[in-house]
Amino acid sequence: MAILASLWTDKKYGLEILRALDGKSSLALAEGTLYLILNRLKTDGLVESEWVDAGTGHPRKYYWLTKVGKERLRAMARFWIQFSADLGALLEPLSDRKEKRSVYQ
Amino acid sequence: MSTNSVTESVDEYCKRLWKALHKLPTPEREDFIREVRSHIWERVEAEPEVTADVLTKIFREVGEPKELASEYRTQAMLHEATRSDAPWVLRPWVLLRATLRWGVTSLAGLVAFLVTVIGYGCTVVFYLCALLKPVFPTHIGLWLAAQHTLSLGYWNGRLSGAEVYGMSVRPPISFVLLGTLGPTGGPIRELLGYWLIPIGFLCSALFFLATSMFTRWFIARFNRKKKWTASLFHASSIPQSS
Repeated sequence: MAILASLWTDKKYGLEILRALDGKSSLALAEGTLYLILNRLKTDGLVESEWVDAGTGHPRKYYWLTKVGKERLRAMARFWIQFSADLGALLEPLSDRKEKRSVYQ
Repeated sequence: MSTNSVTESVDEYCKRLWKALHKLPTPEREDFIREVRSHIWERVEAEPEVTADVLTKIFREVGEPKELASEYRTQAMLHEATRSDAPWVLRPWVLLRATLRWGVTSLAGLVAFLVTVIGYGCTVVFYLCALLKPVFPTHIGLWLAAQHTLSLGYWNGRLSGAEVYGMSVRPPISFVLLGTLGPTGGPIRELLGYWLIPIGFLCSALFFLATSMFTRWFIARFNRKKKWTASLFHASSIPQSS
């Protein structure tokens, strides 16, 4: 999901995706494995890709979300937001603030 | 390091990756290598100084070729197993092959493999018993022997040293599949008679369906990667958008 989410705004190449994951989350990824996942996402029709000669001497393969990919990501995001809200509500009594209050009561 | 020796090292790494990925179709393999090569060069060019240590670190972070290839192969097989369009008679083979490979590297995979073997093993025993009951009516059956041993399969016809080849359960925990639990003495009684034929075929079909469905579900649910929150990455394990 994190990989798909990193492609939400624009197309990116492998290293950019890794940097997006590194910078925005604690989701560490073995670098070579990223391409295996991207390959699978492509087989599933969730992303599309294209080789671009960026003038760096090494062509880069850019990935972007397909329509199906965007729909799937939206569904996953809805699922995740609901899930974390439910879990948050369940864990609320465990938070420090509430615990202190319960001591005084 | 000079540019030439960096190029040589990158080429050597790519060559090892190329060899490790020998089971992949050539276009897919070429594309993957090209992508990894491009990735390594991006990393190299981002370094202020490229020493042998830096290069080794980059290669390590990209991944050991054999491990990458193995991971790729496992994922491809599991993917094929959960989405297989293979004829239903070949599905056990696809699922067994994929879970065996998965089982070598993870506990969840081992569980999946064992469950699949037991499930399809039961399918085979039920099916063969139903099929062979008319051929060996006095030898094939569901048998209750001494020590509360319940066995399904071929009885060797002896009362002392009775053995049933098929599957057996003996409380509390003995279970044997595709074999015999060992000789038992004393009376042996057949429980189902010719009812074994319809019941055997029915149970065989039920075990087949249950094993196929369970294993596919188990793979989709527990096929987790090592270094990240797997289910979040598994687009195919999240329900389709309505």
